[in-house]
Amino acid sequence: MIQIIFGGFMVTSLLYALVKGEGAACVSAMLAGADDAVASALSMAGGFAFFCGLINILKKAGAIRFLSRLLSPGLQRLMGPSLPDTALDYVTMNLTANMLGLGNAATPMGMKAAQAMAQGETATNALCLFLVINASSVQLLPSTVISLRAAAGSASPGAIVLPTLAATLVSTLAGILSCKLWEGKS
Amino acid sequence: MLATFVLFCIGIGAFRRVALYDAFLEGAKEGLQTAWNILPPMLSMLCAIRAFSACGLMDGLCALFSPLLSWVGLPPETLPLMLLRPLSGSASLAMLKEILDFYGPDSRIGMVACVMMGSSETVFYTCGVYLGAAGVKKSRHIIPCALIAWLFGSLAAGFLV
Repeated sequence: MIQIIFGGFMVTSLLYALVKGEGAACVSAMLAGADDAVASALSMAGGFAFFCGLINILKKAGAIRFLSRLLSPGLQRLMGPSLPDTALDYVTMNLTANMLGLGNAATPMGMKAAQAMAQGETATNALCLFLVINASSVQLLPSTVISLRAAAGSASPGAIVLPTLAATLVSTLAGILSCKLWEGKS
Repeated sequence: MLATFVLFCIGIGAFRRVALYDAFLEGAKEGLQTAWNILPPMLSMLCAIRAFSACGLMDGLCALFSPLLSWVGLPPETLPLMLLRPLSGSASLAMLKEILDFYGPDSRIGMVACVMMGSSETVFYTCGVYLGAAGVKKSRHIIPCALIAWLFGSLAAGFLV
């Protein structure tokens, strides 16, 4: 996918620029982009590391287990009673790690959850629901975006936290609802 | 808002007798590593995106869909980000940076873009990783439903900001 996006952008822009006779400008824009990427990665790295440090304190304080206990009953009702307990544990751990922005901790849990819920080569209803919830993003603190905003000189980098939470809630609910409707149909 | 969150984290940590400094240090180290890992893909995609906007194609694309996006309450300038969001994490991150630099992080366009970024995941990548790990070939309604979620999240971004 990324190959197509990258190649598509590069080839169409260069061809179009060459036709217009602006090839040089196009290449210098690319170089400026590379330059900017390094500068902004450096300036956002500090903020990002700061949030990761804080989140790690939460993790060490048992935040994953605490949130899991809160979420587990609701998830069980949502996913159906036929779901094995181990699968439910992996699902809750994955979703809570994602909520905290702990991608590294979340991915192995998610893989185990998917393995526990798959039936042969076909996705079960529970697996579909899990992946749709996962793909609709459930992050409580969007630390990457906050750091990027701070690096871009925002007066209030945290101003997007509440609207993002609300939008994420909308997308997750829309995902769950469409899954349930689809299940009912088939 | 953020100050409360920082105090909350430190407070909970102290209450649960976490070695605060060690835990923060460990997390910060991981964070720097992540930031370092993000750089090469973001650099590559930012080059491609800059080329695309320098030759005028980006403006053309936005102008083409401008009536549709204005109709649903989204700034047309956020269209490229909206389209890239489910396809690639590094491309959408580079696009978000481009929008923030160009229109400013506190402008409405910048705010909508940030909320849009946070309202959805890299749908195709996430599903690919987990389905691959489980050996599932028939994904049934996963992709359509995940894309419905993405669409609603993006619309909500325009509505909420």
